[in-house]
Amino acid sequence: MTIPETPIDITTPSLYLDGVPHDRLAAIRETPGLVWHPYEDVLSKGGGFWAVTRHEDIKEMSKRADVFSSAIGHSNLWDLEADALEARRSIIDSDAPDHTRLRRLVSKAFTPRNIRVWEGTTRQIAGDLLDEFIAAGGGDWVKMVAAPLPIRVILTILGVPIKDADFLVELSNFLVEGTGDAPSLPDDAYGNTTPLRLLPFGSPASHAMYQYAEKIGSDRKAEPQEDIVTQLVLAEENGDRLSEAEYRNFFHVLIFAGNETTRTAMTHAAMAFAENPDQWDRLVADPSLTANAVDEVIRWATPVLHMRRTAAEDTELAGTSIAKGDKVVMWYAAANRDPDVFEEPFSFDIGREDNPHFAFGGGGPHFCLGAFLARMEIQVLLEEMATRGLGLTMTQAPVHAPSNFVHGVLSVGMEPR
Amino acid sequence: MSTEADVNDTVRLTLDSEACIGVGQCELLEPTVFRIDDDENISVFVGERDLLRPRAEIVVDKCPSGAIQIAEET
Repeated sequence: MTIPETPIDITTPSLYLDGVPHDRLAAIRETPGLVWHPYEDVLSKGGGFWAVTRHEDIKEMSKRADVFSSAIGHSNLWDLEADALEARRSIIDSDAPDHTRLRRLVSKAFTPRNIRVWEGTTRQIAGDLLDEFIAAGGGDWVKMVAAPLPIRVILTILGVPIKDADFLVELSNFLVEGTGDAPSLPDDAYGNTTPLRLLPFGSPASHAMYQYAEKIGSDRKAEPQEDIVTQLVLAEENGDRLSEAEYRNFFHVLIFAGNETTRTAMTHAAMAFAENPDQWDRLVADPSLTANAVDEVIRWATPVLHMRRTAAEDTELAGTSIAKGDKVVMWYAAANRDPDVFEEPFSFDIGREDNPHFAFGGGGPHFCLGAFLARMEIQVLLEEMATRGLGLTMTQAPVHAPSNFVHGVLSVGMEPR
Repeated sequence: MSTEADVNDTVRLTLDSEACIGVGQCELLEPTVFRIDDDENISVFVGERDLLRPRAEIVVDKCPSGAIQIAEET
């Protein structure tokens, strides 16, 4: 993939090695109308996308899901051939009515009411991890707390054995690499024989995830359990037409989005409180701020930096004409620092009462399925840290994922302060 | 957008069961009005569907699928 020189480049993955290039996003956000950002890949020479960076524009675009389609093109920046798009199609890459049908298959498990059921389990997992972290005198926060916590919770909800958590985190890390420009896996890793262009994020790790999905799916078909995997594989048999490809892509999304994003938020939470110890002291002194703190952590982290749509018809946004077929990309990372919406957007302030961030998307039908789960997990983490009086000091600088798509942190050293 | 004159207006909400994707935001905001039906996995009215306009606008705005709307006055 070659990227041409642009007036304001925001896609070269290495730009993200020191964190989100907010100065560049701000320059685009301050330009009236929409900015056309050149972007080339194998399939779209001389192409580009409309960069949507203002909060109000992303809000409008998210709600106009019939015009800004998730199904016509890829949800990532690069284009895919028709067969590749089809092979990896998931709830993320679909429009109503397909999207509605897929979403309703699992939506019940993720409503605020049903998420509360998992709070006790989450508290137990978080408490154990924090006790180990304290006993060890600190270490890599990602490895010790932020990665194991959400994967264990999502596996419990899905009905996947906890013993496979490390393996599924490993696959997720390779998938993140797949969004950058230097994937490290050989094409045939995990016994893969599928052409990479047919796999999500072009990664052999997706092949391994598919194989895992098929194995656990057939186990649950043989012996149904009270869990989501059973619900998904049996839905197919109830005539809900969940094809094998739909099932394995669904499983892929639930595992990847269900652990990588919340891990990122929990890592940025630790970094933000370590850099702003006054905010930590404020939270410990006044636990009633916890719910606000959770949303501030999520705004601050913005684990998914952007999502792409494709115009289904000629249209207009922010006074700019958009042609049918154009790529249009919502930069949530920019909207979440929009000074028209957030007072002092670059200060981490757990007291924000109105915090209409777009870390779960801009509010349309693709609103994050796991939003209430993520909030609950982060809330429990903060509460359990506060209970233990665990403030943090950074001992090793974060290593950021070289990705323009996820705000991933591979490791960061922390110790109790 | 509400104006000062209509903040005390009561408006009626409508629910499009084709569009609903069962997020549950409505039930979280107004548990006496909405509930995600345990069999259908979509939102249903469980109580009075009239709300003060400013509150109704928040509920409409927070519904990701656009299934909740304010009934057009006739």
